[in-house]
Amino acid sequence: MAVYKRGYQRYTGPRAGHLERLLVLPREAWRRLSSQRIVTALLALSCVWPLLCALFIYISNHTELWAGLDRGFSRMLAVDSTFFLTFMKVQSVFSVLLAALAGPGMISPDLGNQGLALYFSRPISRLEYTLAKMAALVWLLSLATWIPGLVLFVMQASMAEAGWLAANWRLCAGLVLGFWVWVALASLVALASSAWVKWRLIAGAVVLGFFFVLSGIGVLVNAVFRVEWGDLINPLRAAYGVWCAVMGAEMPAGLSLGTSLISLALMAAVLSLALERRLRPVEVVS
Amino acid sequence: MSAQEIVFDNVSKFYGDVLGVNRIELRIPPGLTSIVGPNGAGKSTLMNLMCGLIHPDRGEIRVLGIPPRDPERLMRITGYATQFDAAPRWATGFDFVVSSLLLFGYSSSMAERLAWAALEQAGLTDAARRKVNSYSKGMRQRVRLAQALAHDPQVLVLDEPLNGLDPVVRAETIALFRQLAASGRHVVISSHVLQEVDVISDRVVLMANGMIVAEGDIRGVREEIHEHPSQFLIRCRQPARLASLLFERAPVVEARLMEGDGALLVLTRDRGEFTRILTRLASEGLGIDSIVPADENVHALYEYLVGGSA
Repeated sequence: MAVYKRGYQRYTGPRAGHLERLLVLPREAWRRLSSQRIVTALLALSCVWPLLCALFIYISNHTELWAGLDRGFSRMLAVDSTFFLTFMKVQSVFSVLLAALAGPGMISPDLGNQGLALYFSRPISRLEYTLAKMAALVWLLSLATWIPGLVLFVMQASMAEAGWLAANWRLCAGLVLGFWVWVALASLVALASSAWVKWRLIAGAVVLGFFFVLSGIGVLVNAVFRVEWGDLINPLRAAYGVWCAVMGAEMPAGLSLGTSLISLALMAAVLSLALERRLRPVEVVS
Repeated sequence: MSAQEIVFDNVSKFYGDVLGVNRIELRIPPGLTSIVGPNGAGKSTLMNLMCGLIHPDRGEIRVLGIPPRDPERLMRITGYATQFDAAPRWATGFDFVVSSLLLFGYSSSMAERLAWAALEQAGLTDAARRKVNSYSKGMRQRVRLAQALAHDPQVLVLDEPLNGLDPVVRAETIALFRQLAASGRHVVISSHVLQEVDVISDRVVLMANGMIVAEGDIRGVREEIHEHPSQFLIRCRQPARLASLLFERAPVVEARLMEGDGALLVLTRDRGEFTRILTRLASEGLGIDSIVPADENVHALYEYLVGGSA
């Protein structure tokens, strides 16, 4: 047929690599996130605690400022695993709030617009789409978690006496690793919530509920039934168990690293499954 | 399998217990092909299968020789526009098209150049910098078309692309489809408006209940349907006389005088013989102005094949 031979010429010029192309999505998501004033405001607020911690590190490393005070006070000013665990607890709350604010706008608009088909009719898989959206959230939560944590650690290491770094390097690894686990979990919760709940406010509430209500239920189950498996549905306690283990701090009573890891793995599996069920390029009749 | 065609080889797709499409055997050559059928006929399923958005439970698909399970290669040659209002409302039309091009791996400058070209083709240059949420329905339809066209695909799959367009833009869009089809591309569109595709398509695929009930060019399909007599609408000065002459000389099943407008509707089971005799009668001074096949259109075909209009 003559029509085969007419003018069509396919583009054969250079193209960006796969990873570079994938980064278009998180960049776009980040642009949207950073344009939301409330997200920026909360991110700024989350810097207050790290600043206070930095001041604490400064004071603790300048003995001349508290010379003459008793020994108990000097012990209180120690920058150790307790200090970093407290830092992590506070920042993890901020990260949950950020996830609850920023997460709901990640997937639900695409689903609501039936826009996933447009993404998946590009060379992008469902997994890549999820990871790309997650990357924007991970970056946002990183700004409130392990990045300031790392800055604090570097600050302490540079101010402390020789030998502190060698004795405490595990704190750094624990801080970063512990926060990575936390950020991954918070991002997964936010994405799953965004995929299943259309209304942003409710989706945000679901994120908060996952961390705080579920934790409360876990504690309640343990207390009422005098069991320990309530820890399995307690994301805060599970994450804390992992943090203690990786930082070499004392584990809370009745909690083991195994239980914490099983709990987190179960939660991640359920959340991934929830995302997998929802992220379809076309509406599937069931 | 042909590297120039879109080929469905015994393809079935079920959504749980619900039938999507069943035992589809289809070859789509370059040109403008319309998939027609009522809501739920399986048109969108067929298109989604073509684009690799869903995969068949049975059978095999090849788009110009490429299996849809190879998205990296397939997406380069296909452009898809969903029937839904899928463009993100917060983005400008230009940003939307540029982002979609960046996902194909074009450089920023190239993406911007191609985006302007596509927006111009879709008639959206003036509104390109406006946000999608300020667009009319027709403009949102066109921006979806622009993102499908922008990377210059060889296969364009457009789900209900003419919905919501005003008559002028519709005519321009149809002209664009024709131009793309004439350049050797596959332009596959779906529609449930039969009159629309009748005018624009090189070939039609008629679907009902997840199955193809007919496919080919409209005349060819009509000629395959023997159980329904062919219909001709004849306009002339003496319709009553023509009717009696036709009954005398031609294999006519029914002749109906159309009151008031000097027209005669004739039904025949032997098109060849009928047209031969009619040609002879035309020279006998009956004043025949026009002879038009009255059922060589998708609407009629649909009624014959499915028993209802789409």
